[in-house]
Amino acid sequence: MISSDIQTVLPEISLAVFAMLALLAGVYNGKDKTAPMMVWLTSGMFVLLAAWIGYGGEGTTTAFGGMFVNDGFARFAKVTILLSAAAVLLMSQDYMTKLGLLRFEYPLLVALSVVGMMFMVSAGDLMALYMGLELQSLALYVVASLRRDSVKSTEAGLKYFVLGALSSGLLLYGASLTYGFAGTTLFSGIIAAADGGVSLGMLFGVVFMLAGLAFKVSAAPFHMWTPDVYEGSPTPVTAFFATAPKVAAMAMFARVVHDAFGGIVGEWQQIIAFLSVLSMFLGAIAAIGQTNIKRLMAYSSIAHMGFALMGLAAGTAFGVQAMLIYMAIYVTMNIGTFAFILSMERDGRPVTNIASLNQYAKTEPLKALAVLLLMFSLAGVPPLVGFFGKFYVLRAAYDAGLAWLAVAGVVASVIGAFYYLRIVFYMYFGAEQDDPLDRGMPPVLWGFLVVTAAMMLVGIVNLFGIEPLAQAAAATLVN
Amino acid sequence: MSLFLIVALPFLGALLPGLMNQAGRDACSGVTFMVSLAAFIGLLTNLPSVLAGEVVTVGIDWMPLLGLNFTLMLDGLGFFFAFLILGIGLLIIAYARHYLSRDDNMGEFFTYLLLFQGAMVGIVLSDNILLLLVFWELTSLSSFLLIGYWKHLPEGRQGARMALAVTGMGGLAMIGGMLILGQIVGSYELSVILQHRDLIQADPLYVPALLLILLGAFTKSAQFPFHFWLPHAMAAPTPVSAYLHSATMVKAGIFLMARMWPVLSGTPEWFVLVTGAGLITMVLGAVIALFKHDLKSVLAFSTVSHLGLITMLLGTGTAFGAFAAVFHILNHATFKAALFMSAGIIDHETHTRDIRRLGGLRHLMPITAVIMTIAALSMAGVPLLNGFLSKEMMLEESTQTVMFNTWWLVPALATLAALFSAGYSFRLIAHTFFGPKRDDYPAAPHDPGFGLWGPPAFLVVLVVTIGVAPFLVEDFVKIVTASVLGTTAELPHAYIKIWHGLVPALYMSLAAVGGGVILVIMHSVLQKIWDATPRPEAKVIFDATISSFVSLARSLILPLHNGAFSRYAAIAAVTIIGAGYFAWITGVQGAATRAPQAATPVALAGWAMLVAATFGLVFLHRNRLLALIMMGIVGLMVSVGFVYFSAPDLAMTQFTVEAVTIILLLLALNFMPNRSPVESTVLHRVRDAFVAVAGGFGAMAMAWHYLLRDAVATPISEFHLANSYKGGGGTNVVNVILVDFRGFDTYGEIIVLGIAALLIYALTETLLNGPVRARLLNRVPDQPRAGGMHPMMMVVLTRVIMPVVLMVGFYIFMRGHNEPGGGFIAGLIVSIAVVMQYMASGFSWASSRLRYPYHGVIGAGVLLAGLTGIGSWFVNKPFLTTDFTYVRIPPFEKFELATAAIFDLGVLLAVVGAVMLTLESFSRLARTAHTKDSVHPMDIDPSRQASTEEGA
Repeated sequence: MISSDIQTVLPEISLAVFAMLALLAGVYNGKDKTAPMMVWLTSGMFVLLAAWIGYGGEGTTTAFGGMFVNDGFARFAKVTILLSAAAVLLMSQDYMTKLGLLRFEYPLLVALSVVGMMFMVSAGDLMALYMGLELQSLALYVVASLRRDSVKSTEAGLKYFVLGALSSGLLLYGASLTYGFAGTTLFSGIIAAADGGVSLGMLFGVVFMLAGLAFKVSAAPFHMWTPDVYEGSPTPVTAFFATAPKVAAMAMFARVVHDAFGGIVGEWQQIIAFLSVLSMFLGAIAAIGQTNIKRLMAYSSIAHMGFALMGLAAGTAFGVQAMLIYMAIYVTMNIGTFAFILSMERDGRPVTNIASLNQYAKTEPLKALAVLLLMFSLAGVPPLVGFFGKFYVLRAAYDAGLAWLAVAGVVASVIGAFYYLRIVFYMYFGAEQDDPLDRGMPPVLWGFLVVTAAMMLVGIVNLFGIEPLAQAAAATLVN
Repeated sequence: MSLFLIVALPFLGALLPGLMNQAGRDACSGVTFMVSLAAFIGLLTNLPSVLAGEVVTVGIDWMPLLGLNFTLMLDGLGFFFAFLILGIGLLIIAYARHYLSRDDNMGEFFTYLLLFQGAMVGIVLSDNILLLLVFWELTSLSSFLLIGYWKHLPEGRQGARMALAVTGMGGLAMIGGMLILGQIVGSYELSVILQHRDLIQADPLYVPALLLILLGAFTKSAQFPFHFWLPHAMAAPTPVSAYLHSATMVKAGIFLMARMWPVLSGTPEWFVLVTGAGLITMVLGAVIALFKHDLKSVLAFSTVSHLGLITMLLGTGTAFGAFAAVFHILNHATFKAALFMSAGIIDHETHTRDIRRLGGLRHLMPITAVIMTIAALSMAGVPLLNGFLSKEMMLEESTQTVMFNTWWLVPALATLAALFSAGYSFRLIAHTFFGPKRDDYPAAPHDPGFGLWGPPAFLVVLVVTIGVAPFLVEDFVKIVTASVLGTTAELPHAYIKIWHGLVPALYMSLAAVGGGVILVIMHSVLQKIWDATPRPEAKVIFDATISSFVSLARSLILPLHNGAFSRYAAIAAVTIIGAGYFAWITGVQGAATRAPQAATPVALAGWAMLVAATFGLVFLHRNRLLALIMMGIVGLMVSVGFVYFSAPDLAMTQFTVEAVTIILLLLALNFMPNRSPVESTVLHRVRDAFVAVAGGFGAMAMAWHYLLRDAVATPISEFHLANSYKGGGGTNVVNVILVDFRGFDTYGEIIVLGIAALLIYALTETLLNGPVRARLLNRVPDQPRAGGMHPMMMVVLTRVIMPVVLMVGFYIFMRGHNEPGGGFIAGLIVSIAVVMQYMASGFSWASSRLRYPYHGVIGAGVLLAGLTGIGSWFVNKPFLTTDFTYVRIPPFEKFELATAAIFDLGVLLAVVGAVMLTLESFSRLARTAHTKDSVHPMDIDPSRQASTEEGA
């Protein structure tokens, strides 16, 4: 009984044990000198776990009386989370070393937050969900303010913490209301209790939980922390924020609305549609005026979350499938883009000003081309991979009778294209400038940039086969 | 040849020029030419089936889940466009070989060109509309690279930017249109969609779909109001202009309108939008073209005008209109490509394209002069050239078109456009080739080699051939028209011929040509007027639009994201209240299941005090000490509330927690100024008050709702009430839950509590050994310290109280299992007893009397609790299984012994240790340099004074 439970959560336990052992090893042996090794070890661990989870389990198993669910959906999300976290971790090493921020705790905090994410997406119970969420968030709060001597970074960390705590509280409040009216915290029990109508009390629970979740995916109007945190955190941390936690939060969102409230789609569909349309437009419009590329990516991620939510708003298996595909593509694009942002330097110092990209294509044609592909893909321009993600969610929304949302999404993507294209203009046709960005780039970053850019093109063949996987994953969630 | 291969060849071939770059310019262009030629021949192999009216289709699944299949279709329309794209492409490649200079990277250029060519062929052969979209944006992408090929020209940058922004965004909008179309029909295959005219036009989403698709088509084909990007894209190398901006890419929008003609046309919306935009574009482009001086600019605006003409024809929705449109596409492609290439020759030879610096070239460049003159005359609509034929058909169609119930509107505008069109065509000829020979050309002009003039010459031959013998192409044009019309309309019986008799179109045509001549004669005068009149410049408008868009975005967003936390919190609060309200109004309120209780005076009084304290807090919060006191009152009232609602355990916990918290906050206040500064304006405070009051009312409404209703049918408390005594041996359910039912949780909690305390200790240790120490030591408090820190009365009193409080703690601990109390509360009480000693007698005195360090106390507590749990293993029970028994030792009454009590003792110890360690750590921060910490318990100690006097 207990051993089969352990068997089910073995990947999570392994990672947690790894993180703790590595922490001890780091404390007693060499501290920050071990950091580069820790980074590689942790990344390696992530990749191993991803392979284990990806090729391992079949079907659905539950552990601890249904608190932990290991199904196709969770596995899809976990593999995405682990791989993106591994990528971001590897990319961060050079940058962090240069700024003197590469502490051995950094990869381990990331590992712990990943453990939290893995629990989040596998949660079959409100309490398990909250535990995973908090484990993730607490580690992230620390990581956000890793640069303690920078006012911006500490401010970012503090804002993130306070707003994050507020949202956790809200989520908890909603969860307790839900519990009060369902009489159980198990998703399977809640969905049964909500069967055949939902009382006002439970509706409050749903609404507040959704608000709390919206904070975590940084959907408008709960997005306020995102630009500040993205700008203030060290860039590798920003890259991390933009990838794995987003997938985890989105997957958790899907898990809650379908596993716990799948029977009352009508009650939450409007709310998610509202969040979606607001996020898309706010992200698109706000990014236009930005001059800092990290802030721009923050608004871009808000807009992208809006699109992913559009898939959820559909409330169908196809919608979840669309969301999963969208998130997988989004993460890939962001890894590439941040690999580039991490390499943006002038005279050896990191810069984040968009105007510094002027005439970049002249000095670095290949990298400029790679960024061009990524930007076009982020904008959703066919035939790049980003288009397919966007089309998936649009179709899902349309199929679910939310044609207005799909049309709004198209309009938002047209507005949003403006700022992605602007970066491309700057690179190819920007004003002449005397001090271009430094040439050269750490090989790891170069590799990620070029590989992800190539994926934007090559992926159009069959999206690397994630479609059927996402379909199977969605089928396990929605039934 | 398979359609797949025709589309794939340019893409695959695009690799070659880059590879052949080192092999020389001839090899590079040669291989490009061969690739295009292969595709062209492949296309021609399909000609018989097209002529037979068949539709060639091939397809494989691509992403069937998405509805995206790689299906291609070749019908008359597709063949026609593919023919133009590949055919003119061949000429352009030959031309470009000679046009590009040695410094240009030819491999790069031809790679882009082939990519573009493949994308264009893809568009016109796609059967799947998603596939069409893919190719559509691929042309945007490759054209961006082509336009930007000459990056060193500053105007090229602006041009590329506009072109990409406008066409790229239009393409994105089209995604929506295609999505709607595909979803209405249930298939993304054009061959299916085109069969469902009625279904689509009856759908409520027809208009949005139409708008989105037209947005894509209009932006691509530079129709008003998106016409401005095309002239600015002319900074590109001339072969690119000739290929993209006259013959192919800008016709993609036209192609799409023609392709969708069977299902979208024929509605009033279609007519007004398409014909309207076409008419405006036609006139506007023609008028502006007359006054431009750059040869390519003139041609660009004329292209805009001609595209408008074709659009207008398609908009009419009649079969004859479509017929004329198809014919004009053919004619325009031939003469305009020839014109562009000729303009490129002039630029190449004279190093200028400014028409004011040219003139008299007919003697210097006779071949070019002939080619360009014929092409321009065709554009002007002079008989015996192909431009005349289609223009006549256009005028004919315009007389049949009534817009806004005004019969003369369309014909008049059409004639006006034709008139200006003739005007700029004549000017092009007159000002470039005629007039006196000049001696100030930037370079000595002469005719180029055959490589450059051959391709345009070939086109001009076509211009004349079609113009003289239109019947040669008539059948072909009719086949194409038939495929445009699909099954929706009958092919017109009209046929193309030069002389139609004295029809109105002839008079209009005559007027246009005559007017054109007059325009050229009067040109210098008109130009002056034109230059003097203020008029909107598209580029300026575009830039202004963009910048106003940016500043609008900034003004919308920046105030929202100014970094102020209070604003973020306000927005979040408002949204949450809104979300609650949404739930309130959409949810179904069940009937109340409980009756409200009567309000007793005690409850009312408590409530009044709570409200008063809250108000007091709001108004007095700037004085931090007062705020703290108010908070204490609120906390006490909450505790009283627990008592009132029969939750004594909670109340006791709350009491003690309140006390400890207030002590902690007092310590913190020590480091802060006494008053918080005023930072917000009155307006802000009023806003915040509104939000707060709304939130308060929301909370009240919810509380009201919940208090009157049972949450679930059987509350979980029933279980605990039923099992507490039976299973845990205690009548205090809360305590039994803590130490028994959920003992494992409690065990975890005390561990966490201990870790937190240790962490606080570690942090303060680090802090005090770091640079902060100096700042702390030199801190000057803003308030003068009170004189006596350790007054005797207090010291004495606390000493006396200490055993009493400890006894209370013991009592509370012991009764915990059955009555309100327990280890946690007892721990807090013991802590308060100890804290009092610190406060009264001073830190040094108190800590020197400490026998066990607090770390150890925490550890002992956790260990004790853990061992209790492990104990149950010895009797083969799971961890933390409790047991209890009743013993009677005379003369006492029967009492109960439970293992849970030992566990509870562990809790007590852990709580004492954690609280004390935390407080001690904080208080270390408060110790400053100038207040010497005394080792004595009292400031004034009579006994001590005596002894010191003795010593002295």
